[in-house]
Amino acid sequence: MNRRGIIGAIAAAVALAVVPKKTRAAPVKKIRPPGALPRGAFEQACIGCFRCAEVCPTKVIQFPGVFSLDTATPFLELDDRACVLCMKCTQVCPTDALVPLKADVDVVAKEVRMGVPKLNRAACLPWTGHGICRLCYQVCPYPDRAVEVVGPQKAPLFHAEACVGCGLCQEACPETAQAIIIEPLP
Amino acid sequence: MALRSQSFFAPLVKRVLQPFDITLRHGKRYQLVRKLFLSFSVLLTVGLPLWHLRALEVEGAGLAAGTRWSTVSRFLPATPPPFLGAPTSVWVGFFELVDPLEALATALFRGANWNLVWTVLPGVVLVVVFGRFFCGWACPYLPVLATANAARWLLSRLGLPTADVKLPRVTSRVVLVGVLIVGSVLGVQLVPLVYPPAVIGREAFRAVFYGSLGAGSLLVLTAFLFDTFVSRAGFCRSLCPGGAMFSVLGSASPIKVVNDRSKCTDCTVCDVICNLGQSPMTNTLDSGCERCGKCVASCPTKALSFKIVPLGVKRGDS
Repeated sequence: MNRRGIIGAIAAAVALAVVPKKTRAAPVKKIRPPGALPRGAFEQACIGCFRCAEVCPTKVIQFPGVFSLDTATPFLELDDRACVLCMKCTQVCPTDALVPLKADVDVVAKEVRMGVPKLNRAACLPWTGHGICRLCYQVCPYPDRAVEVVGPQKAPLFHAEACVGCGLCQEACPETAQAIIIEPLP
Repeated sequence: MALRSQSFFAPLVKRVLQPFDITLRHGKRYQLVRKLFLSFSVLLTVGLPLWHLRALEVEGAGLAAGTRWSTVSRFLPATPPPFLGAPTSVWVGFFELVDPLEALATALFRGANWNLVWTVLPGVVLVVVFGRFFCGWACPYLPVLATANAARWLLSRLGLPTADVKLPRVTSRVVLVGVLIVGSVLGVQLVPLVYPPAVIGREAFRAVFYGSLGAGSLLVLTAFLFDTFVSRAGFCRSLCPGGAMFSVLGSASPIKVVNDRSKCTDCTVCDVICNLGQSPMTNTLDSGCERCGKCVASCPTKALSFKIVPLGVKRGDS
Protein backbone atom coordinates (compact mmCIF):
# COMPACT_ATOMS: atom_id res chain seq x y z
CA MET A 1 0.00 0.00 0.00
CA ASN A 2 1.38 3.38 -0.94
CA ARG A 3 1.36 6.55 1.14
CA ARG A 4 -1.86 7.89 -0.35
CA GLY A 5 -3.56 4.60 0.44
CA ILE A 6 -2.39 4.67 4.02
CA ILE A 7 -3.55 8.26 4.52
CA GLY A 8 -6.90 7.37 2.97
CA ALA A 9 -7.24 4.33 5.19
CA ILE A 10 -6.49 6.35 8.32
CA ALA A 11 -8.97 9.07 7.29
CA ALA A 12 -11.61 6.41 6.67
CA ALA A 13 -10.92 4.73 10.01
CA VAL A 14 -11.24 8.06 11.86
CA ALA A 15 -14.47 8.88 10.04
CA LEU A 16 -15.90 5.46 10.85
CA ALA A 17 -14.87 5.76 14.47
CA VAL A 18 -16.39 9.23 14.95
CA VAL A 19 -19.46 9.40 12.73
CA PRO A 20 -21.51 6.46 14.06
CA LYS A 21 -21.63 7.95 17.54
CA LYS A 22 -22.56 11.47 16.51
CA THR A 23 -25.53 11.20 14.24
CA ARG A 24 -28.50 8.93 14.22
CA ALA A 25 -31.88 9.21 12.60
CA ALA A 26 -34.93 7.99 14.48
CA PRO A 27 -35.71 4.42 13.41
CA VAL A 28 -39.12 3.32 12.18
CA LYS A 29 -41.52 1.88 14.74
CA LYS A 30 -42.20 -1.73 13.98
CA ILE A 31 -42.97 -4.88 15.89
CA ARG A 32 -39.72 -6.80 15.97
CA PRO A 33 -39.22 -10.53 16.56
CA PRO A 34 -38.82 -11.75 20.14
CA GLY A 35 -35.52 -11.08 21.88
CA ALA A 36 -34.78 -8.12 19.60
CA LEU A 37 -32.37 -5.49 20.83
CA PRO A 38 -33.89 -2.09 21.67
CA ARG A 39 -35.06 0.02 18.75
CA GLY A 40 -32.11 1.67 17.06
CA ALA A 41 -29.65 -0.95 18.22
CA PHE A 42 -31.60 -3.64 16.44
CA GLU A 43 -31.52 -1.89 13.07
CA GLN A 44 -27.76 -1.59 13.34
CA ALA A 45 -27.09 -5.16 14.42
CA CYS A 46 -29.38 -6.92 11.95
CA ILE A 47 -27.73 -7.92 8.68
CA GLY A 48 -30.96 -9.06 7.06
CA CYS A 49 -29.83 -12.63 6.52
CA PHE A 50 -33.39 -13.94 6.69
CA ARG A 51 -32.56 -16.79 9.07
CA CYS A 52 -35.23 -15.82 11.60
CA ALA A 53 -37.92 -15.86 8.93
CA GLU A 54 -36.44 -19.09 7.63
CA VAL A 55 -37.13 -21.00 10.83
CA CYS A 56 -40.34 -19.22 11.86
CA PRO A 57 -43.02 -21.95 11.97
CA THR A 58 -45.93 -19.58 11.42
CA LYS A 59 -44.12 -17.33 8.94
CA VAL A 60 -45.21 -14.35 10.98
CA ILE A 61 -41.75 -12.85 10.54
CA GLN A 62 -41.81 -10.78 7.39
CA PHE A 63 -39.43 -8.65 5.40
CA PRO A 64 -40.81 -5.42 3.95
CA GLY A 65 -41.19 -5.47 0.19
CA VAL A 66 -41.46 -1.73 -0.31
CA PHE A 67 -38.88 0.96 -0.78
CA SER A 68 -37.54 1.89 2.59
CA LEU A 69 -34.20 1.92 4.28
CA ASP A 70 -35.56 -0.79 6.54
CA THR A 71 -36.06 -3.31 3.75
CA ALA A 72 -33.45 -5.61 5.18
CA THR A 73 -34.83 -6.00 8.69
CA PRO A 74 -37.51 -8.42 9.86
CA PHE A 75 -40.77 -7.39 11.51
CA LEU A 76 -43.92 -9.16 12.65
CA GLU A 77 -47.08 -9.04 10.58
CA LEU A 78 -49.70 -9.82 13.21
CA ASP A 79 -52.84 -9.33 11.14
CA ASP A 80 -53.72 -12.92 10.44
CA ARG A 81 -50.82 -14.72 12.09
CA ALA A 82 -49.17 -14.73 15.46
CA CYS A 83 -45.92 -15.56 17.14
CA VAL A 84 -46.11 -18.87 18.95
CA LEU A 85 -43.12 -18.00 21.14
CA CYS A 86 -40.99 -20.93 19.97
CA MET A 87 -37.88 -18.70 20.24
CA LYS A 88 -36.25 -20.45 17.28
CA CYS A 89 -35.52 -17.14 15.60
CA THR A 90 -33.50 -15.94 18.57
CA GLN A 91 -31.32 -19.02 18.48
CA VAL A 92 -30.33 -18.74 14.82
CA CYS A 93 -29.45 -15.03 14.70
CA PRO A 94 -25.78 -14.74 13.69
CA THR A 95 -25.19 -11.21 14.99
CA ASP A 96 -27.25 -11.43 18.19
CA ALA A 97 -29.62 -8.75 16.96
CA LEU A 98 -32.07 -11.20 18.48
CA VAL A 99 -30.63 -12.23 21.82
CA PRO A 100 -30.81 -16.03 22.21
CA LEU A 101 -33.62 -17.09 24.56
CA LYS A 102 -34.94 -20.40 25.80
CA ALA A 103 -38.53 -21.31 24.96
CA ASP A 104 -39.36 -21.28 28.65
CA VAL A 105 -42.52 -19.66 29.97
CA ASP A 106 -40.78 -17.67 32.66
CA VAL A 107 -37.79 -16.63 30.54
CA VAL A 108 -40.11 -15.45 27.77
CA ALA A 109 -42.34 -13.61 30.23
CA LYS A 110 -39.33 -11.80 31.62
CA GLU A 111 -37.34 -11.03 28.46
CA VAL A 112 -39.76 -10.68 25.57
CA ARG A 113 -41.58 -7.43 24.84
CA MET A 114 -42.57 -7.27 21.20
CA GLY A 115 -45.45 -4.84 21.39
CA VAL A 116 -48.25 -3.50 23.54
CA PRO A 117 -51.88 -4.61 23.30
CA LYS A 118 -54.48 -1.96 22.55
CA LEU A 119 -58.10 -2.92 23.20
CA ASN A 120 -60.82 -1.01 21.45
CA ARG A 121 -63.67 -1.40 23.93
CA ALA A 122 -66.19 0.01 21.48
CA ALA A 123 -65.57 -3.00 19.24
CA CYS A 124 -65.05 -5.70 21.87
CA LEU A 125 -68.03 -8.07 22.10
CA PRO A 126 -68.21 -8.45 25.91
CA TRP A 127 -67.53 -4.76 26.53
CA THR A 128 -70.37 -3.78 24.19
CA GLY A 129 -72.67 -6.34 25.76
CA HIS A 130 -72.82 -8.70 22.82
CA GLY A 131 -71.89 -11.85 24.66
CA ILE A 132 -69.28 -13.80 26.54
CA CYS A 133 -66.43 -14.10 24.09
CA ARG A 134 -63.24 -14.81 26.08
CA LEU A 135 -61.32 -15.85 22.94
CA CYS A 136 -58.37 -13.63 23.79
CA TYR A 137 -58.28 -14.98 27.31
CA GLN A 138 -58.30 -18.55 26.07
CA VAL A 139 -55.44 -18.18 23.60
CA CYS A 140 -53.25 -15.97 25.77
CA PRO A 141 -50.07 -17.78 26.87
CA TYR A 142 -50.18 -15.73 30.07
CA PRO A 143 -53.83 -15.77 31.19
CA ASP A 144 -54.61 -13.79 34.33
CA ARG A 145 -51.28 -12.02 34.00
CA ALA A 146 -51.39 -10.37 30.59
CA VAL A 147 -55.16 -10.46 30.24
CA GLU A 148 -57.84 -11.00 32.84
CA VAL A 149 -61.57 -11.16 32.45
CA VAL A 150 -63.87 -9.06 34.58
CA GLY A 151 -67.55 -8.66 35.14
CA PRO A 152 -70.53 -10.85 34.35
CA GLN A 153 -69.70 -10.97 30.64
CA LYS A 154 -66.01 -11.79 31.17
CA ALA A 155 -64.77 -8.65 29.46
CA PRO A 156 -61.01 -8.63 28.93
CA LEU A 157 -58.62 -6.29 30.68
CA PHE A 158 -55.09 -6.14 29.31
CA HIS A 159 -51.98 -5.53 31.34
CA ALA A 160 -49.31 -4.24 29.00
CA GLU A 161 -46.52 -4.75 31.52
CA ALA A 162 -47.09 -8.52 31.55
CA CYS A 163 -47.91 -8.89 27.84
CA VAL A 164 -45.20 -10.26 25.54
CA GLY A 165 -46.98 -9.05 22.42
CA CYS A 166 -47.22 -12.37 20.61
CA GLY A 167 -50.42 -11.37 18.85
CA LEU A 168 -52.32 -14.60 19.51
CA CYS A 169 -55.24 -12.56 20.87
CA GLN A 170 -55.24 -10.30 17.83
CA GLU A 171 -55.37 -13.36 15.62
CA ALA A 172 -58.14 -14.97 17.71
CA CYS A 173 -60.33 -11.88 18.02
CA PRO A 174 -63.43 -12.42 15.84
CA GLU A 175 -63.33 -10.95 12.35
CA THR A 176 -66.46 -8.94 13.09
CA ALA A 177 -64.91 -7.32 16.14
CA GLN A 178 -61.14 -6.93 15.60
CA ALA A 179 -60.95 -5.14 18.88
CA ILE A 180 -57.35 -5.95 19.75
CA ILE A 181 -54.31 -4.59 18.00
CA ILE A 182 -50.73 -5.17 19.07
CA GLU A 183 -48.94 -1.89 18.61
CA PRO A 184 -45.17 -1.38 18.32
CA LEU A 185 -43.39 -0.46 21.52
CA PRO A 186 -43.58 3.28 22.21
CA MET B 1 1.13 -2.89 -29.30
CA ALA B 2 2.88 -4.23 -32.33
CA LEU B 3 2.69 -7.73 -30.96
CA ARG B 4 -0.94 -7.36 -30.11
CA SER B 5 -1.90 -6.69 -33.70
CA GLN B 6 -0.08 -9.85 -34.85
CA SER B 7 -1.92 -12.03 -32.40
CA PHE B 8 -4.01 -14.80 -33.84
CA PHE B 9 -5.88 -15.55 -30.63
CA ALA B 10 -7.11 -12.14 -29.58
CA PRO B 11 -9.91 -11.65 -32.12
CA LEU B 12 -10.92 -15.28 -31.79
CA VAL B 13 -11.18 -15.09 -28.04
CA LYS B 14 -12.91 -11.76 -28.10
CA ARG B 15 -15.54 -13.05 -30.44
CA VAL B 16 -16.09 -16.58 -29.28
CA LEU B 17 -14.83 -17.31 -25.83
CA GLN B 18 -15.27 -14.22 -23.73
CA PRO B 19 -19.05 -14.31 -23.47
CA PHE B 20 -19.31 -17.88 -22.28
CA ASP B 21 -16.43 -17.88 -19.85
CA ILE B 22 -15.03 -20.90 -21.63
CA THR B 23 -11.68 -22.05 -20.41
CA LEU B 24 -9.14 -23.57 -22.72
CA ARG B 25 -6.97 -26.61 -22.53
CA HIS B 26 -5.29 -26.31 -19.17
CA GLY B 27 -6.19 -25.73 -15.58
CA LYS B 28 -9.29 -27.76 -16.17
CA ARG B 29 -9.27 -29.42 -12.79
CA TYR B 30 -9.08 -26.04 -11.06
CA GLN B 31 -12.00 -24.83 -13.13
CA LEU B 32 -13.96 -27.98 -12.39
CA VAL B 33 -13.50 -27.59 -8.66
CA ARG B 34 -14.34 -23.90 -8.83
CA LYS B 35 -17.46 -24.44 -10.87
CA LEU B 36 -18.63 -27.27 -8.61
CA PHE B 37 -18.15 -25.00 -5.61
CA LEU B 38 -19.94 -22.16 -7.36
CA SER B 39 -22.79 -24.43 -8.43
CA PHE B 40 -23.14 -25.63 -4.86
CA SER B 41 -23.28 -22.06 -3.63
CA VAL B 42 -25.86 -21.02 -6.19
CA LEU B 43 -27.86 -24.17 -5.62
CA LEU B 44 -27.93 -23.47 -1.89
CA THR B 45 -28.99 -19.89 -2.52
CA VAL B 46 -32.02 -20.84 -4.58
CA GLY B 47 -32.62 -24.34 -3.22
CA LEU B 48 -32.53 -23.71 0.50
CA PRO B 49 -35.64 -21.53 0.53
CA LEU B 50 -37.59 -24.30 -1.20
CA TRP B 51 -36.33 -26.92 1.19
CA HIS B 52 -37.12 -24.74 4.20
CA LEU B 53 -40.57 -24.03 2.83
CA ARG B 54 -41.16 -27.75 2.55
CA ALA B 55 -39.94 -28.41 6.08
CA LEU B 56 -42.08 -25.58 7.43
CA GLU B 57 -45.18 -26.80 5.72
CA VAL B 58 -44.69 -30.32 7.00
CA GLU B 59 -43.91 -29.14 10.52
CA GLY B 60 -46.54 -26.42 10.62
CA ALA B 61 -49.20 -28.63 9.06
CA GLY B 62 -51.06 -25.76 7.49
CA LEU B 63 -50.11 -23.08 9.99
CA ALA B 64 -47.91 -21.49 7.39
CA ALA B 65 -49.82 -20.31 4.36
CA GLY B 66 -48.60 -21.96 1.19
CA THR B 67 -47.26 -20.06 -1.80
CA ARG B 68 -47.11 -20.97 -5.44
CA TRP B 69 -43.72 -22.50 -4.74
CA SER B 70 -45.30 -25.19 -2.63
CA THR B 71 -45.99 -27.16 -5.79
CA VAL B 72 -42.26 -27.28 -6.48
CA SER B 73 -41.10 -27.81 -2.93
CA ARG B 74 -43.29 -30.84 -2.22
CA PHE B 75 -40.79 -33.00 -4.08
CA LEU B 76 -38.13 -32.19 -1.51
CA PRO B 77 -37.48 -34.23 1.64
CA ALA B 78 -39.62 -33.35 4.63
CA THR B 79 -36.73 -33.19 7.08
CA PRO B 80 -35.31 -29.72 7.69
CA PRO B 81 -32.13 -29.01 5.72
CA PRO B 82 -28.78 -29.13 7.55
CA PHE B 83 -28.03 -25.58 6.44
CA LEU B 84 -29.44 -22.24 7.42
CA GLY B 85 -29.07 -18.80 5.97
CA ALA B 86 -28.11 -16.88 2.88
CA PRO B 87 -24.59 -16.92 1.34
CA THR B 88 -23.40 -14.10 3.58
CA SER B 89 -24.24 -15.82 6.83
CA VAL B 90 -24.46 -19.57 6.81
CA TRP B 91 -24.95 -22.05 9.58
CA VAL B 92 -23.61 -25.38 8.40
CA GLY B 93 -24.61 -27.77 11.13
CA PHE B 94 -21.73 -27.27 13.51
CA PHE B 95 -20.43 -23.76 12.94
CA GLU B 96 -21.41 -20.36 11.65
CA LEU B 97 -19.87 -18.31 8.90
CA VAL B 98 -20.62 -14.61 8.60
CA ASP B 99 -19.45 -12.34 5.84
CA PRO B 100 -16.56 -10.09 7.01
CA LEU B 101 -18.21 -6.99 5.55
CA GLU B 102 -21.52 -7.45 7.33
CA ALA B 103 -19.73 -8.41 10.51
CA LEU B 104 -17.62 -5.25 10.23
CA ALA B 105 -20.71 -3.11 9.75
CA THR B 106 -22.34 -4.68 12.79
CA ALA B 107 -19.19 -4.32 14.85
CA LEU B 108 -18.85 -0.65 13.89
CA PHE B 109 -22.34 0.15 15.10
CA ARG B 110 -22.65 -2.20 17.99
CA GLY B 111 -19.12 -2.95 19.09
CA ALA B 112 -17.38 -6.24 18.47
CA ASN B 113 -18.02 -9.28 20.57
CA TRP B 114 -16.36 -12.67 20.62
CA ASN B 115 -19.35 -14.37 19.09
CA LEU B 116 -18.99 -12.16 16.04
CA VAL B 117 -15.22 -12.69 15.91
CA TRP B 118 -15.52 -16.48 15.91
CA THR B 119 -18.17 -16.52 13.22
CA VAL B 120 -16.15 -14.27 10.96
CA LEU B 121 -12.71 -15.76 11.60
CA PRO B 122 -12.76 -18.73 9.19
CA GLY B 123 -13.78 -16.49 6.32
CA VAL B 124 -11.18 -13.86 7.14
CA VAL B 125 -8.39 -16.44 7.36
CA LEU B 126 -9.41 -17.89 4.00
CA VAL B 127 -9.46 -14.43 2.42
CA VAL B 128 -6.10 -13.45 3.90
CA VAL B 129 -4.55 -16.60 2.45
CA PHE B 130 -6.41 -16.91 -0.85
CA GLY B 131 -7.21 -13.27 -1.56
CA ARG B 132 -10.49 -12.18 -3.05
CA PHE B 133 -11.52 -15.74 -3.85
CA PHE B 134 -15.13 -15.45 -2.69
CA CYS B 135 -15.99 -13.29 -5.71
CA GLY B 136 -14.87 -15.94 -8.17
CA TRP B 137 -15.81 -19.02 -6.21
CA ALA B 138 -19.01 -18.48 -4.31
CA CYS B 139 -20.77 -15.22 -5.13
CA PRO B 140 -24.31 -15.95 -6.37
CA TYR B 141 -24.10 -12.83 -8.50
CA LEU B 142 -21.77 -14.67 -10.90
CA PRO B 143 -24.56 -16.27 -12.97
CA VAL B 144 -26.04 -12.79 -13.41
CA LEU B 145 -22.63 -11.50 -14.45
CA ALA B 146 -22.24 -14.33 -16.96
CA THR B 147 -25.63 -13.42 -18.40
CA ALA B 148 -24.58 -9.77 -18.61
CA ASN B 149 -21.40 -10.76 -20.42
CA ALA B 150 -23.39 -12.92 -22.81
CA ALA B 151 -25.69 -9.96 -23.42
CA ARG B 152 -22.65 -7.79 -24.15
CA TRP B 153 -21.45 -10.37 -26.60
CA LEU B 154 -24.85 -10.51 -28.25
CA LEU B 155 -24.96 -6.72 -28.50
CA SER B 156 -21.56 -6.63 -30.14
CA ARG B 157 -22.56 -9.37 -32.56
CA LEU B 158 -25.60 -7.34 -33.51
CA GLY B 159 -23.33 -4.43 -34.20
CA LEU B 160 -24.67 -2.34 -31.34
CA PRO B 161 -22.19 -0.31 -29.36
CA THR B 162 -21.34 -1.41 -25.84
CA ALA B 163 -19.55 0.97 -23.55
CA ASP B 164 -16.83 -0.25 -21.24
CA VAL B 165 -16.23 2.49 -18.74
CA LYS B 166 -13.29 1.71 -16.53
CA LEU B 167 -13.81 3.37 -13.20
CA PRO B 168 -10.67 3.76 -11.10
CA ARG B 169 -9.93 1.00 -8.63
CA VAL B 170 -10.43 3.31 -5.68
CA THR B 171 -14.14 3.68 -6.49
CA SER B 172 -15.13 0.46 -4.76
CA ARG B 173 -13.20 1.44 -1.63
CA VAL B 174 -14.94 4.80 -1.62
CA VAL B 175 -18.24 2.93 -1.93
CA LEU B 176 -17.22 0.64 0.92
CA VAL B 177 -16.39 3.46 3.31
CA GLY B 178 -19.31 5.54 2.06
CA VAL B 179 -21.81 2.77 2.67
CA LEU B 180 -20.54 2.28 6.20
CA ILE B 181 -20.60 6.01 6.98
CA VAL B 182 -23.97 6.74 5.39
CA GLY B 183 -25.39 3.68 7.11
CA SER B 184 -24.17 4.87 10.45
CA VAL B 185 -25.55 8.37 9.87
CA LEU B 186 -28.93 6.91 9.07
CA GLY B 187 -28.62 4.35 11.84
CA VAL B 188 -29.38 1.38 9.61
CA GLN B 189 -27.43 -1.39 8.00
CA LEU B 190 -26.94 -0.35 4.39
CA VAL B 191 -24.59 -3.18 3.53
CA PRO B 192 -27.31 -5.84 3.16
CA LEU B 193 -29.08 -3.52 0.73
CA VAL B 194 -26.19 -2.97 -1.68
CA TYR B 195 -24.16 -6.17 -1.37
CA PRO B 196 -25.31 -8.64 -4.06
CA PRO B 197 -24.72 -11.95 -2.21
CA ALA B 198 -26.78 -10.71 0.73
CA VAL B 199 -29.44 -9.22 -1.53
CA ILE B 200 -29.74 -12.29 -3.74
CA GLY B 201 -29.92 -14.65 -0.76
CA ARG B 202 -32.65 -12.60 0.85
CA GLU B 203 -34.58 -12.06 -2.35
CA ALA B 204 -34.55 -15.79 -3.09
CA PHE B 205 -36.06 -16.44 0.32
CA ARG B 206 -38.59 -13.67 -0.04
CA ALA B 207 -39.66 -14.89 -3.46
CA VAL B 208 -40.17 -18.44 -2.25
CA PHE B 209 -41.68 -17.66 1.14
CA TYR B 210 -43.97 -14.77 0.30
CA GLY B 211 -44.12 -14.86 -3.47
CA SER B 212 -42.95 -11.26 -3.77
CA LEU B 213 -39.75 -9.39 -4.50
CA GLY B 214 -38.29 -6.51 -2.55
CA ALA B 215 -36.16 -3.51 -3.34
CA GLY B 216 -33.12 -5.79 -3.52
CA SER B 217 -34.20 -7.19 -6.86
CA LEU B 218 -33.94 -3.65 -8.17
CA LEU B 219 -30.29 -3.51 -7.13
CA VAL B 220 -29.54 -6.75 -8.93
CA LEU B 221 -31.34 -5.49 -12.02
CA THR B 222 -29.43 -2.22 -11.89
CA ALA B 223 -26.14 -4.05 -11.51
CA PHE B 224 -27.05 -6.29 -14.43
CA LEU B 225 -27.86 -3.31 -16.65
CA PHE B 226 -24.70 -1.56 -15.52
CA ASP B 227 -22.61 -4.61 -16.35
CA THR B 228 -24.31 -5.00 -19.71
CA PHE B 229 -24.44 -1.48 -21.04
CA VAL B 230 -21.91 0.58 -19.14
CA SER B 231 -18.97 -1.45 -17.96
CA ARG B 232 -17.94 -5.08 -18.22
CA ALA B 233 -18.20 -6.61 -14.73
CA GLY B 234 -18.22 -2.99 -13.61
CA PHE B 235 -20.22 -3.65 -10.49
CA CYS B 236 -17.88 -6.37 -9.23
CA ARG B 237 -14.80 -4.47 -10.27
CA SER B 238 -15.49 -0.98 -9.09
CA LEU B 239 -18.70 -0.70 -7.10
CA CYS B 240 -19.20 -3.76 -4.91
CA PRO B 241 -18.32 -2.94 -1.29
CA GLY B 242 -17.83 -6.64 -0.53
CA GLY B 243 -15.30 -6.97 -3.33
CA ALA B 244 -13.45 -3.95 -1.94
CA MET B 245 -13.50 -5.48 1.52
CA PHE B 246 -12.07 -8.76 0.24
CA SER B 247 -9.47 -6.88 -1.81
CA VAL B 248 -8.26 -5.00 1.23
CA LEU B 249 -8.25 -8.09 3.45
CA GLY B 250 -6.56 -10.23 0.82
CA SER B 251 -4.02 -7.70 -0.40
CA ALA B 252 -1.23 -9.64 1.33
CA SER B 253 -2.31 -12.99 -0.07
CA PRO B 254 0.74 -14.99 -1.21
CA ILE B 255 -1.14 -17.00 -3.82
CA LYS B 256 -0.91 -15.19 -7.12
CA VAL B 257 -1.15 -15.67 -10.83
CA VAL B 258 2.35 -15.48 -12.22
CA ASN B 259 3.31 -15.16 -15.85
CA ASP B 260 6.43 -16.99 -16.96
CA ARG B 261 7.48 -14.38 -19.50
CA SER B 262 9.80 -16.78 -21.31
CA LYS B 263 6.76 -18.83 -22.39
CA CYS B 264 4.40 -15.93 -23.01
CA THR B 265 3.61 -15.05 -26.61
CA ASP B 266 1.72 -11.86 -25.77
CA CYS B 267 -1.47 -13.22 -27.27
CA THR B 268 -3.65 -11.23 -24.80
CA VAL B 269 -6.05 -14.13 -24.23
CA CYS B 270 -5.67 -13.82 -20.47
CA ASP B 271 -6.16 -10.06 -20.47
CA VAL B 272 -9.28 -10.39 -22.57
CA ILE B 273 -10.82 -13.22 -20.58
CA CYS B 274 -10.34 -11.48 -17.24
CA ASN B 275 -13.57 -10.00 -15.97
CA LEU B 276 -11.89 -7.74 -13.48
CA GLY B 277 -9.55 -5.82 -15.75
CA GLN B 278 -6.37 -7.43 -14.50
CA SER B 279 -3.45 -7.93 -16.85
CA PRO B 280 -1.80 -11.33 -16.30
CA MET B 281 0.01 -10.93 -19.60
CA THR B 282 2.12 -8.08 -18.28
CA ASN B 283 2.27 -9.58 -14.78
CA THR B 284 0.36 -6.63 -13.39
CA LEU B 285 -2.34 -8.00 -11.15
CA ASP B 286 -3.48 -6.32 -7.97
CA SER B 287 -5.60 -7.40 -5.02
CA GLY B 288 -8.64 -7.20 -7.29
CA CYS B 289 -7.81 -10.64 -8.72
CA GLU B 290 -10.58 -13.03 -7.72
CA ARG B 291 -8.52 -16.23 -8.25
CA CYS B 292 -11.02 -17.60 -10.73
CA GLY B 293 -8.11 -19.07 -12.70
CA LYS B 294 -9.68 -18.44 -16.07
CA CYS B 295 -6.51 -16.78 -17.32
CA VAL B 296 -4.45 -19.79 -16.21
CA ALA B 297 -6.84 -22.18 -17.87
CA SER B 298 -7.00 -20.19 -21.08
CA CYS B 299 -3.30 -19.64 -21.62
CA PRO B 300 -2.37 -21.44 -24.85
CA THR B 301 1.30 -21.75 -23.94
CA LYS B 302 0.90 -22.58 -20.24
CA ALA B 303 2.83 -19.49 -19.32
CA LEU B 304 0.46 -18.64 -16.47
CA SER B 305 0.17 -20.52 -13.23
CA PHE B 306 -0.79 -20.02 -9.61
CA LYS B 307 2.34 -19.61 -7.52
CA ILE B 308 3.11 -18.82 -3.95
CA VAL B 309 4.79 -15.43 -3.95
CA PRO B 310 5.83 -14.19 -0.52
CA LEU B 311 5.06 -10.60 0.35
CA GLY B 312 7.79 -8.23 -0.80
CA VAL B 313 8.94 -10.40 -3.69
CA LYS B 314 7.96 -9.01 -7.04
CA ARG B 315 5.79 -11.12 -9.28
CA GLY B 316 7.77 -12.61 -12.11
CA ASP B 317 11.07 -12.60 -10.24
CA SER B 318 12.36 -15.93 -8.94
